[in-house]
Amino acid sequence: MTTITSPQTNGLGQFFKNNRGVLFSIAGLIFLPFALTLLDGQSIGSMLANESGLSKFYQGLAIEIFILAIYALSYDLLFGITGLLSFGHAMFFGVGAYLTGIMLKSFSWGLLPIIGLVAVAGLVMALIFSIVLPRVKGITFALVTLGIAQVFYIVIQSREMADLAGAEIGLQGVTPPAYLNPVEQRLRFYYVGLVVLFGVYFLYKRFVDSPTGHVCVAIRENEDRATMLGFNTFYFKLVALTISSITAAFAGAMHGLFHPIIRPGIASSHYTIAALLMILMGGIGTLDGAIIGAATFKLLSFYLEKWFGGTSQVIIGVVYIMLVLFLPYGIVGTWKLRGVRLRDGWRDFLQRLKPSQTNND
Amino acid sequence: MEENFILETKNLRKEFGALIAVDDVSIQVRPNTTHSIIGPNGAGKTTFFNLLSGNLQPTTGNVFFKGSEITHQPLHRTAHLGIGRSFQITNLFPNLTVMENIRLACQALGHDNFRILRSHKHFPQYEQRAREVAELVGLGDEISTLARALPHGGQRKLELGIILAADPEVLLLDEPTAGMAAEQVPELIQLIRDIQTSGQKTVMLVEHNMNVVMSISDTITVMHLGQILAEGTPAEIAANEVVQSAYLGQLYGDMQTSQTG
Repeated sequence: MTTITSPQTNGLGQFFKNNRGVLFSIAGLIFLPFALTLLDGQSIGSMLANESGLSKFYQGLAIEIFILAIYALSYDLLFGITGLLSFGHAMFFGVGAYLTGIMLKSFSWGLLPIIGLVAVAGLVMALIFSIVLPRVKGITFALVTLGIAQVFYIVIQSREMADLAGAEIGLQGVTPPAYLNPVEQRLRFYYVGLVVLFGVYFLYKRFVDSPTGHVCVAIRENEDRATMLGFNTFYFKLVALTISSITAAFAGAMHGLFHPIIRPGIASSHYTIAALLMILMGGIGTLDGAIIGAATFKLLSFYLEKWFGGTSQVIIGVVYIMLVLFLPYGIVGTWKLRGVRLRDGWRDFLQRLKPSQTNND
Repeated sequence: MEENFILETKNLRKEFGALIAVDDVSIQVRPNTTHSIIGPNGAGKTTFFNLLSGNLQPTTGNVFFKGSEITHQPLHRTAHLGIGRSFQITNLFPNLTVMENIRLACQALGHDNFRILRSHKHFPQYEQRAREVAELVGLGDEISTLARALPHGGQRKLELGIILAADPEVLLLDEPTAGMAAEQVPELIQLIRDIQTSGQKTVMLVEHNMNVVMSISDTITVMHLGQILAEGTPAEIAANEVVQSAYLGQLYGDMQTSQTG
């Protein structure tokens, strides 16, 4: 008995030990704005007053990464942990963003009721998806969710809703509340984003470690077996789907607050693929991987576009292929295997080159 | 009708299109016995098992468990009723450890499945039970091995452990020794026998290994072409000429000639 209960007796110490890497990252991110200010030679006072400079710029980039990371985490819970491949995830994000924008702009709601509304919307969307959940599996579920999400994507761009949602141009002229304005209160927004991201991260960690999370993993591994053990798998999938959709909707709400224009592109299938890419790069089912994948994704596309302009898309494509070849389990997944696969990656790569050479002869 | 049967089927029938896999099978299983089902390939044994466990719905007929009908219960209820089912083809969670595999089975019938924000460490009772079960099936030393890394014999044991974890009253074992090395078979059979006698359990067995069936069973039902050919004690079955001819293929030939002739 004692050996089993020992991990929880020294709970806090164990927590620090288990999450050392994450806690160091959080500490680093807390000091990042100050470090950048010092690097730039800007005074701390002016940085705290949110005057423009290197620090403010990178805070903006970091906030975008935080939002993407929350979004990627929610997709990792659904696909990486529970094994539900959804192609409609961007709808959750889009609904969160548009709902926030519309409520702020056209109905002048405060932030708190909007947060409540977004949570309810997340729940409703999960329930809509859950109608098809017990009926279709695997790739069929992916296609049905794609269909549902495409309907939303088309509706949001419709002329009839132009007054509310701004048709295909996007929703403009949203004024976020003064205390969380991304321009005047950038630093505050940065810390709110940081808190929300790691709040979600630790909640997710706990969920995956809970009895419910274990069943979700079992469903990913072998759903039929889980049913035969006596689990009604539908309810577990519904729980994962609900948590995932509410989280994604919150990420969308933050996106809606942060960006001056909410573009319909965030509700398109491209944005779902982006989430998939992020967790593929980071490592499927690892949670840490979702955050690292989101950061990699954003930094790659930002810097490559900055340096190479239009051709950056080609380079990004090459980078993705390289990542899949050399890090097939993603950055975190491969790290956990300690580079075992790196050698295999070279071999695969060279082998793929060979047939084309013989063809040329 | 005085006797209480733990598991009973009445005129159970399953058609796959034109094929009648199980044809009006009625059996009664007495509690705390080992009841084997044997028969040549294609006799409908596994289909019959699937009907019992709810993996398949019968075309007609009923299944009774302790006198109440369970024919149309949803699949996930089977375990809750107290029926554990193993599969002919190993059916585990390959990327989870032995401990996780068994613990999931222990947890399945508990009431903590939706404690979404509590670590599993707060529920040591499942871990404790999983450890006991792992010891029982002889996997105590391999508790943190991934299921897919186990040798085939180990996977069959784990399969048995997963069923035992839920402490069912009836165990439906579909060829538990399938693919096992011959020297491992006696160990597993002894294990099944121990479980049956010490735990007051009913075991239903589909098995091809005649030595196993003859030594372990209290009752044997012989199936052939979806129907019951004979039923009785091992001694009765061994002496039954019809059964012998079924296994030698003679009966099949006789039926062909009688149909054409």
